[in-house]
Amino acid sequence: MTNYIEDFVYVTLVLYLLAAGCYFLGNKNKSIARTGLLIAIAGIATNLMALISRALLVSRLPITNGAEFILSFSGFTVIAYAFYELKSRNNNAGGVVLMIAAMLVGSIVTLMPEQLGDVKPLMPALKSPWLTSHVLTAIFSYGGFALAAGLAAIQLWRANSSKGEEWIYKIVAVSFVMLTVTIVLGAIWAEQAWGRYWSWDPKETWALVTWIIYAVYLHLYRQKSWKGQKSNMLVVGGFILVLFTYFGVNFLLSGLHSYGG
Amino acid sequence: MILIKKTQRFLRFMSSMKIGLSLLAVIGLLAAIGSGISTDKYYQALPFKVILGLLLLNMALCTTNQVTKFFKHGLKAEKSSQILLRQIGMMTLHAGVVFILIGGSVYSFQGESTQIKIDQGQTVDMKTIFNQTKPFMIKLDDFNIDFNADGSPSQYFSHISLVENGAVTGEKDISVNNPFEYAGIKAYQSSFGYGVELQGESNTGWKEKKTLQESEFLQIPGTDKAIRIYKYIPNFDPEYGMQSKTLRPDNPRIVYSLYQKGSLLDVGAVSFGEKVEIQPGTTVQFNGVKPFSVLTVKRDPGLSLAMAGMLMLMAGTCLTLFLKQKKTGVVQ
Ligand code: HEM
Repeated sequence: MTNYIEDFVYVTLVLYLLAAGCYFLGNKNKSIARTGLLIAIAGIATNLMALISRALLVSRLPITNGAEFILSFSGFTVIAYAFYELKSRNNNAGGVVLMIAAMLVGSIVTLMPEQLGDVKPLMPALKSPWLTSHVLTAIFSYGGFALAAGLAAIQLWRANSSKGEEWIYKIVAVSFVMLTVTIVLGAIWAEQAWGRYWSWDPKETWALVTWIIYAVYLHLYRQKSWKGQKSNMLVVGGFILVLFTYFGVNFLLSGLHSYGG
Repeated sequence: MILIKKTQRFLRFMSSMKIGLSLLAVIGLLAAIGSGISTDKYYQALPFKVILGLLLLNMALCTTNQVTKFFKHGLKAEKSSQILLRQIGMMTLHAGVVFILIGGSVYSFQGESTQIKIDQGQTVDMKTIFNQTKPFMIKLDDFNIDFNADGSPSQYFSHISLVENGAVTGEKDISVNNPFEYAGIKAYQSSFGYGVELQGESNTGWKEKKTLQESEFLQIPGTDKAIRIYKYIPNFDPEYGMQSKTLRPDNPRIVYSLYQKGSLLDVGAVSFGEKVEIQPGTTVQFNGVKPFSVLTVKRDPGLSLAMAGMLMLMAGTCLTLFLKQKKTGVVQ
């Protein structure tokens, strides 16, 4: 199975793109949209297969290098979306969310394909239970924010519904808890590994900026004047910051996070 | 009287959520700008600290308000335990941020951090590093690296002894992610390196043993020549040139350079025990390497406060926002 990691990734990419296409086309046609969900679930399966293969290859949780992280991120985003669709019986955001997931998987094959076969052992600094939990909660929060951003984009694009607002609020709230835990666990880990719980390195700084924008959203959500489109823009903006914290910082800015020992 | 009124009005103004959120937004903006400017000084600059200070004031006031309100109206019987817990969570999380900000400022006023290099066998008196600490010394007994099968490092260990009043009172292995803590001082594995053990002799009676650090010179007595350690390569492989293939000492080499009256004469690489002829009758050989460890040492009286704040923030957000879930679906 470990020989097929790349194939699983490519198949996942194609399935997510197909699913997104079905959702966009299925705007008026229920059965096409239903097909979209089925294809998305197949995509989840191959996404998980890719992760399991990586886990077998390196004999640890597949959440350390960039490609592993993105695969977990895309997988969790689509899983969260599937639960949301089944529970809310609303598939308006399917196209946007699946496009986000496809873009994430696409970033692996374009920006970091070599990481899929990389079997180097972990650097000493990365061997910490704090770090493992830090990355796990980051995946949950990022996936949740991706879903919330997809829903908010639809609210902005099409008509705004208060039911949609509530869903967005709930998803952001849970993801915000996860982001808070992520940042705190990261700080505890940094303190153990480097002797500083906060050093204003670019990754930390942008995670803080992201955290602030969602904290502002949570407070303003209860303010009447901020209900509606303004708060949806914060949710979309927040997710753009999430992406920048990951891609922008990794590829444009340097810092402690690009070093491990 | 007017002054008290003015102060009250100022405090009320400073405790508002509008001010708090504006401060948060400003901090986010400034922090983002700073990440593009790669200087450490940016975040230590006074204006930035002042804004963080204002946020601390704002949040301390708003948390106090939350707590007073809670005790005035909070404990009414008709409130469900869920709402009660949620309010407790909310106070805990805001108080957590206050604690973190206080803990951080305690460090910036009172804390210190530096790196120390200790040779194997050397003892360092902590009093010479932080004069506010209780007197104790750290001795580096040994430094070693554990390796993975492929030769990459799996862990770095400094085996140290704690020395108080001339007697060893404890031992500890410091490794990455596993610092040493004693009397308010923490020490972290940060880096390492090697000195090279050199032995020289000549037929004119010169005999010397010495440990040289990388890039250090030794003037050879009775000659106009000097030898300099360029580099210790633990696992030499011609394909990797001057880079060591791995850190594991599978094929060690010492790269040295030889100088005459300050100008470069020769560069060479030898293994341990191999003789380098400086001139007829005068030789130098390298017997091995002696490690040193670099530790980051830190004194942070605000650390426990900041850590407590982080745990409160984490627990508080969990309580507040998870408990909220059951409610919103029905009520809003
Ligand atoms: C540093 C970042 C902050 C974080 C992470 C934070 C987090 C939160 C959270 C999660 C809630 C619950 C929101 C909800 O139930 O929807 C909340 C509520 C609240 N926060 Fe903050 N907060 C922060 C800063 C502030 C500041 C600066 C103020 C005011 C000066 C403030 C005042 C309040 C108040 C009054 C509430 C209650 C709102 C209500 O029940 O309607 N918070 N905060």
